[in-house]
Amino acid sequence: MLKPLPASRWNYATAAHLLNRAGFGGTPAEIEKLAALGAEKAVDSLVHYDSRPDTTPNPEWAKVDPERMQQYKQMRDATPAEKQKMRQEEQRERRDELQELRHWWLQRMVAGPRPLQEKLSLFWHGHFATSAQKVKDAYLMWKQNDIFRRHGSGDWLTLLTEVSKDPAMLVWLDQAQSRKQQPNENFAREVMELFALGEGNYTEKDITEAARAFTGWSYDRLNQEFIYRRNQHDDGPKTIFSKTGNFSGDDVLKMIVAHPQAAPFITRKLWVFFGNEKPSSQLVEALAATFRANRMQFKPVLRAMFLSEEFYAPEVMRQQVKSPVQWLVGSVRMLERELPAQQVSANALRQLGQELLLPPNVKGWDGGLSWITTSNLLNRYNFAGFLVLGENPMNAPKNKGGKNRRARMLNGKSIAVAKLFPEDVRKDKKLLAAAVQKRLLASELKPEHRNTLRAYLDSQGELDDLDVLHALRLVMCTPEFQLC
Amino acid sequence: MSELNLKTRREFLRASVLGGAVSWTVPAFLSQTFDALHAQAAGQSQAVTGKDNTILVVLQLAGGNDGLNTVVPVTNDHYHKARPQLSLKSNLHKLDENFALHPSLTAFKELYDAGQLGIVHGVGYPNPNRSHFRSTEIWHTASDANKFEKYGWLGRYFDNACKGSDPTVGVSVGRQTPQAFTGPRPLGISLENPETYRMAGNDTPEMDETAGSMDFMSRLNGAEGLGADASSGTTIGSVTGPVQSNLSPLDYLERTALDAQISSERILKVSQQAKNLVSYPASQVANSFKLVGRLIAGGLPTRVYYLSQGGYDTHTNQAGAHERLLRELGSAVKAFTDDLKAQGNADRVLLMTFSEFGRRVKQNANGGTDHGAAAPLFLVGPKLRAGLLGQFPSLAPADLHNGDPKYTVDFRSIYAGLLQGWLRTDPAPVLGRKFDAFQSLRA
Repeated sequence: MLKPLPASRWNYATAAHLLNRAGFGGTPAEIEKLAALGAEKAVDSLVHYDSRPDTTPNPEWAKVDPERMQQYKQMRDATPAEKQKMRQEEQRERRDELQELRHWWLQRMVAGPRPLQEKLSLFWHGHFATSAQKVKDAYLMWKQNDIFRRHGSGDWLTLLTEVSKDPAMLVWLDQAQSRKQQPNENFAREVMELFALGEGNYTEKDITEAARAFTGWSYDRLNQEFIYRRNQHDDGPKTIFSKTGNFSGDDVLKMIVAHPQAAPFITRKLWVFFGNEKPSSQLVEALAATFRANRMQFKPVLRAMFLSEEFYAPEVMRQQVKSPVQWLVGSVRMLERELPAQQVSANALRQLGQELLLPPNVKGWDGGLSWITTSNLLNRYNFAGFLVLGENPMNAPKNKGGKNRRARMLNGKSIAVAKLFPEDVRKDKKLLAAAVQKRLLASELKPEHRNTLRAYLDSQGELDDLDVLHALRLVMCTPEFQLC
Repeated sequence: MSELNLKTRREFLRASVLGGAVSWTVPAFLSQTFDALHAQAAGQSQAVTGKDNTILVVLQLAGGNDGLNTVVPVTNDHYHKARPQLSLKSNLHKLDENFALHPSLTAFKELYDAGQLGIVHGVGYPNPNRSHFRSTEIWHTASDANKFEKYGWLGRYFDNACKGSDPTVGVSVGRQTPQAFTGPRPLGISLENPETYRMAGNDTPEMDETAGSMDFMSRLNGAEGLGADASSGTTIGSVTGPVQSNLSPLDYLERTALDAQISSERILKVSQQAKNLVSYPASQVANSFKLVGRLIAGGLPTRVYYLSQGGYDTHTNQAGAHERLLRELGSAVKAFTDDLKAQGNADRVLLMTFSEFGRRVKQNANGGTDHGAAAPLFLVGPKLRAGLLGQFPSLAPADLHNGDPKYTVDFRSIYAGLLQGWLRTDPAPVLGRKFDAFQSLRA
């Protein structure tokens, strides 16, 4: 079983760790507030997020399109030239909507009232790893995202069933096209391998049989919803996990969630996302036991995890490589600045290696050290300059006054240092060095790096705002800042 | 040690002088924090040659390329019977009386006729796995199907044979590090765009900084729409596999940052000087080859380049998608080989393609094919044993394993042959044991 964190260990550092992992980090003031609550109340304030109202409106287009039928008809009757024009128009619209959806989501992560809900949505998006590249419909992508928001901390079978019958998933893994005569194995394989059991816990035969059971599950393009096509369902007997019966798709999902490996598989993945990459087998067993004892509900297991001593162990704290989303959203929160414009944020995330709604494959992002390549790291360092200084870092040294028109067009102002540090701190090299580290790391740089930061500040005369900005930027260009 | 300190000091001074009174530049700051690492690295640094060594280019066809519709067994009845809608019969490029290339592989046919294309039949491994991820991992780490190797085969090659090399000994095109590159110490860089591959504020007077800074901004503001490198319509855009290391995350980051800084100066120089000598078609894979062509022209000391083309997971409506993928592949490789020839580098470069698996012999109900096993592998270069190599596996239903062709050549014996004959190193320590080296090179 998980050991509870002793009350004596609850402090600024542990509170910051909780906020980093169960959310996207925050300002010193927010961390102090959590620290003052005590561990239990702090964790509950994050986990019981549904008690906090969320009034963010959905994107305007996030609903079934009533004109769809008419559009299909128009498309059918159109000349080839018209068709091409209509298609281009549709593509442009889709691209704009996806961009808007990404930004809507990022904005929720930055400023929404329920950080853990958004963190879980990000986890489930990486887990079910559905890409707009194939789904090609922003409404469907939003709809799946909304499932994560509604069921992300709820019941496993409910979530798995909702996602399996979700139009985006039906399209993504070809279930919509599976037929009784020759079932498509794609979804049946991934639901076992990637979503719920893991390699080695099923046979090839289980997959082909499950694919038969899922036939009939399809997508109604006109109404943009799940449809069960009875005449496409293979209702003959199937043998799955050594049991034989006339199983339906719902039966298979129930059998999967009831499989002895289901609990360790998904709780391990949760720990890898929230905790660290290599949980011991005892820890996974403890998480799985908590999950089972709570009838496969996520909220109790998340709560136990965030309150456990294991979660605050040295091999967990400040040992996680920030994902690009964590890096961007966390930086924006710590710097108390606005999220950069829609397109800039999206392009930055692409260059850092994590495009929301476009995971690289059905397994999602590998995460961990895989986020770090020479190319991505250079992009992080350069983009840090942009976030802090608000100008093109590639020509920053010669462009202090923002003379570059392009740079000014987009940016373009630096963050407000007066908001971050009181004047006495901004003028005092020692205090400033400490305050910058506290804000950006909730901890300290390692001694060599700390000395270098001090040496930089010491090399300046009397400190001005630009020096403060540069100090912030320098700390964002350390290995330490890439971890949380 | 003293030499190192001198070098570091020089770099540091240069950077701070350039940074002037305004501030320390980020590179100067980083140079300072790198002191200890520089000290380690310097004692080992190899002379940069870059102009004479052989180069291996590895291209992953991610998603599982349908080998049977790529190198088509035209006279095989089992093939046509198993694929009533999908089997190819016309407009093929004939290789011999039994085999022909897919109609859109015109460029490969030219290479074949010029004696520069080797096709190895039936490449796979024992106990094939049909998971994209597991099978990719097996190819990347050269492990047995029932064993798990932490590091990649190329990472182990770097570790065994290229110790102390410049970080650009391995270059992976894109944003990710392929698992094949991972080793006990990270070596090799990932590169997407040479124009922005540098630490801002590192500009020296002789550098034309406009290109880089304009590029940075336009890339941040550009409307690229849906990801430029994902492949339309399939669940496998790319599979790189997880990165593992025995370093702590902090040490790993420091090491990567140092490699980034060292390599960025070199890349910048190359990007300013080196040019492609032919024009390349417009596609993601062609762009990748174009970059590699440029880097080779620039004389980087790279031994292995790694690229990926995604989109081969053709479960539904395969015909059109496969036609496009192979056309893009063929024309990109053609431009690349032309470029190398014009540069005078053709003899130094060998290209190997691979895919995590082939596809099921029998087509499915959606005009597509499901995950399979053994498949052909391409080798391209003037020093090859060209032609059809190896043995084509039987497609008779009784000879299939779960509906898939059985492998006749273990991919690790191809690795062994290339390590020995092309990269000139003993394959056994890299692959963990001895495999019969597949002779793909001319004697």
